[in-house]
Parts: sequence; structure tokens; C-alpha cells
Amino acid sequence: MAVETSEQTVVAAEISGGDQAIVEARQLRRTFGATVAVDDVSFEIRRGEILGFLGPNGAGKSTTLRMITGLLAPDHGSARICGVEISEDPLKARQQFGYLPESIPLYDEMEVTEYLRFVGHSRGLEGTDLEQRVTRICERLGLGPLLRRSCGTLSKGFRQRVGLAQALIHDPDVLILDEPTNGLDPRQIIEVRQLIRELSQERAIIFSTHILQEIAAICTRIIVIHSGKLIADGTPEELAGVSSSGWEVVVAGEGISPQLCIGLGVAEGVPGAPGETVHPWLSESAPDLATLSRQIEDSGSSLIHIGRARETLEQVYLRLTGGQGGRQ
Amino acid sequence: MKSIFIITRRECGSYFGTPIAWIFIAMQIAILSFFFFQFSPFFVIESADMRVWFGLTPFMLMVFAPAVTMRLWSEEMRTGTTEVLLSLPVRVQDLVVGKWLAAVVVLLASVVCSFGIPLTIFWLAASPVDWGPIIGGYLGTILAGMMFLALGCWVSALSRNQVVSLLVGVFVGIILILVLSPDFAAYLSGTYPALSRVVESFGVQSHFRSIERGVLAVSDVVYFLSGSLFFLALTVFQVELKRQ
Repeated sequence: MAVETSEQTVVAAEISGGDQAIVEARQLRRTFGATVAVDDVSFEIRRGEILGFLGPNGAGKSTTLRMITGLLAPDHGSARICGVEISEDPLKARQQFGYLPESIPLYDEMEVTEYLRFVGHSRGLEGTDLEQRVTRICERLGLGPLLRRSCGTLSKGFRQRVGLAQALIHDPDVLILDEPTNGLDPRQIIEVRQLIRELSQERAIIFSTHILQEIAAICTRIIVIHSGKLIADGTPEELAGVSSSGWEVVVAGEGISPQLCIGLGVAEGVPGAPGETVHPWLSESAPDLATLSRQIEDSGSSLIHIGRARETLEQVYLRLTGGQGGRQ
Repeated sequence: MKSIFIITRRECGSYFGTPIAWIFIAMQIAILSFFFFQFSPFFVIESADMRVWFGLTPFMLMVFAPAVTMRLWSEEMRTGTTEVLLSLPVRVQDLVVGKWLAAVVVLLASVVCSFGIPLTIFWLAASPVDWGPIIGGYLGTILAGMMFLALGCWVSALSRNQVVSLLVGVFVGIILILVLSPDFAAYLSGTYPALSRVVESFGVQSHFRSIERGVLAVSDVVYFLSGSLFFLALTVFQVELKRQ
């Protein structure tokens, strides 16, 4: 009786889907020779989440994604997609996700529709259902005028869209995108981000990037991976908030002169937003806001803001990855 | 089973949608025809057989089979399309067999395109045509071709460089045809009779020759089919190895 109850619970949880993690990576580890590419990486993703996989080049992002997709066997650990263990039932697990590899590989000699039909057929779709899906996905991704073009003649931006169409053709619960905006022009990047945001409503999306603005722009959660290790996992706000350190004074223009800084108890200014200078508050204790603002106004600088200092995502990233920023 | 044909259809599209397959077929027939009409006593005695044609066939297969198959895996690995292919819910066995079958279709097309030769003989020959050896020869071509194409699939999965795949394929082909040859077996038979039998049973020529004579022995058919199966299994193993 007890067994029955627990089975029913599992089934009920699977049907409701809601809070259930649809991708689970547990203690993934992978070595290539003597190099440890990924070491003890675990995380979960739920429906509706956009997970940004952030890290410098060579940090182990692609290796982790390839282990989740089953393209690479982990030395240790496991990955489950929609409750299916990828190593136990690879075909069923692979049916649950769409994957866009970093290099956007397409068969150059095939026409766009031919290619999408091929992927659809391989994923078990057929007949009018497949045709409708091809039409719908091409419309959604703006591929309409290019259906009869061979993939080899497409520009990078359109190749990316065909790659995305391929990953979406079977309407998967999970979308795994490896650097999906790499090499696109600014307009295309904005379009792809918009699309990812729209798609995330019904599914979970993981995408890797080394571009910080991208993460800040669309992710609901960030995982920072560095030298194969997971070093941070949280929402952009959590990551930026974790390290709130002391207070800061923001003034317009060039900032307060060094002599006055000593008197006020603030450090020398560093450039902030355009036209602003940021002076970190030197003391541990909170400043007397009224006195400080009056003193600054008296010194001839125009005060913009006094408040708790918050690290930008860039600062968090640089701190976490030991000062090694990614290529931009 | 269905996914095998989906893969075969895609690969056939690549073969026949581009000039690749047609160039191979045309070259193969042109070269074989040249040697056939050059060296066969056909015009001298008007003999109505294709012995020279089928005698050359294993050597043609040795070079052309790996040339046809070299792109099947190498090209995919180089361009990265394997990443998508291996993330599809299709078994590796099905991918391997599907691709191999597409190469077999190219082989069958080249066999069909070469029917012009026996028809020419039939039309020109003074003596009646003995169809047995001709049918046997074609059957042998298809069986040996299947094995060489399976070999080609395997070497194609070994490297992402197509030229390397081609050269390794030809090299293994040379071992199967020229090293394990009936002449070498005869040379060994006096001193090492056991080794001679091994050479004879693993060499392509001894099996091909009996089929070519019109004698269809079970052992020869089994040799070519099990050879195909062996190299296809090696290909599956090689592709699976990429996950490791």
C-alpha cells in the first residue's frame, strides 16, 4: 500500500510538472587525459526558467552541455531530463530536448525545409503534423522567404535561425543552446534574445555564453562555471546582491578632489556610469547622510546618490573567476 | 527500421543531389570499359564473356568504395553535424546501417548503369552468350561491394580528414585483395599449409573468383555478408567511442 502511494505521488508530480526539476545534473565530472574539464557540477532547472551558463572560454560550459545531451559520457555523475536518465534510456531522453551546438552544423547541400523535415522525421514526426510544424516554426523564426534555399548559402544569422528551428521542431520541454548569439550582429542578437524569452514561457532553457550583458538581459538564473567547477548559482539579483559591500557616493562629473576626499572619508573616485564618478565610503560604519550630503554640496560637486554599494554583474564575474574575464 | 530509411534517404539525397555519385559512377564505368575493351580478347575472338571486367572489379572496389564512403562520417565530424545527428533519438546502429545502405544504393546504381556492357556483348557477339558467369559476376560485385563499403564506413569514422579515411581504406583493401591473394596462398601452401588456408579464406579474390565463375557457394556469400557485418559493427563501436 505504501509503495502504491509513493508511485501515485511520483505520477502526480510528473503530470503537474510545475515545481519538478526538468533537468537535473548530478555531480558531473569529466576528464580529458590529465585535464579535468568539468568537476562535480550539479544543478537543476524548472519549467519557465532561463538558465545562463556563464564562464570564460574553456571553462567547461560546452563539455557540461554535451554531457547533459548524452553526446559525451561523464566519468562520474548523471543527468536526467524530464525524469529520464540519459545513460539509461538515451533515446527517450533525447526526445525531450532540442539542442543547438555552438558551431551551428547544417547539411550545406540540403534545402532549409528538407533539413527541417529530415530532423522532424528522425524525431518521429510525419505527415501533415510535420508539415504544419515546419511551416509554423519557419514563420515564427522569419525563415519564410528562405525555405527553398540550400543551407550552405545562408548567412550566419539565418543559419542560426535554422539551427534553432531544428531544435524546436518537436516542441521540446527543454532547449539547450550553446552560445546561440555567437557571431550575430546586434539586431540579430536582440531578436534571438527576444525569441528565447518568448520560448521560455512553456519550457526550460539552458544556454551558455561568455557575454555578460546577455545573461543580465534575459536569464532568470545564472550558473558561473570556471576551470570546470561550478562557482556560483543564483538569480542575477542574488549574485549581484551577495557581495554588497559598504557604501558609496556617486557625484556628477569629475568627482571630488583628492584633498577633499580625505576630509569626507571617501576613497578617490573611479568612473561609474557615463558622466558620473563613484567614491567608495571608507569607514565600516554607515555615514551620516545629512552631514555628508551637505559637505559634498559645499565642496562644489553635485551629488547624485549615496547608498549601499552593489557590485555590477561584471564585478561579480571578475571576482568569481579570479580576474580572468571572457573574450568579448 | 524506419529511422534507417530516413538516414538512407538523406544520404542518398546528398549523393545524388550533388555530382558526387554521378562522377563516381561515370569514372568507374569509364575506367572499367577502357580496360575491358583494351585487354579483353573481345574484338579478336568475339568471345561473349566479361571475365576481364569482373577480374578488375575487386581492384576498382578497393579504390572506389572508400572514395564513395569517405565523406559519410569524416565530413560530418569535420563540420560538426554529428553533434545534431547523435543528439537525435536514433540508435547509432541505425545511423551506421542507414549511411552504409546509401552507399550501397550508389553501388547498385553503378551496376545498373554498367548493364550497357553485357547488352553490347549480347548484341555484337557471334557466339551465344553464357549468362551464368555474367549474373554471377554482378552478384559478386554487389556482395564484395557491400563489404568494401562497410570497410569504407569504418575507416571514415576513424578520422575527420577525408583523405586519411580514403588512404586507410585503400590500404586495408590492398591487404584484403593483394596480400591475402590466391597467389600468395599458393606460394605458402608448400611450406605453411595452415597459413595458406587462412590466407585463402580471408582473401577477397578467392571468394570473388568462384562467384565470378558462376558458382554461388554458401561459404562465399557468408564471407562477404559476415565481412560487411564485421565492419559495420566496428563502425558502430567507433562512433560510440566518440562519446567516451
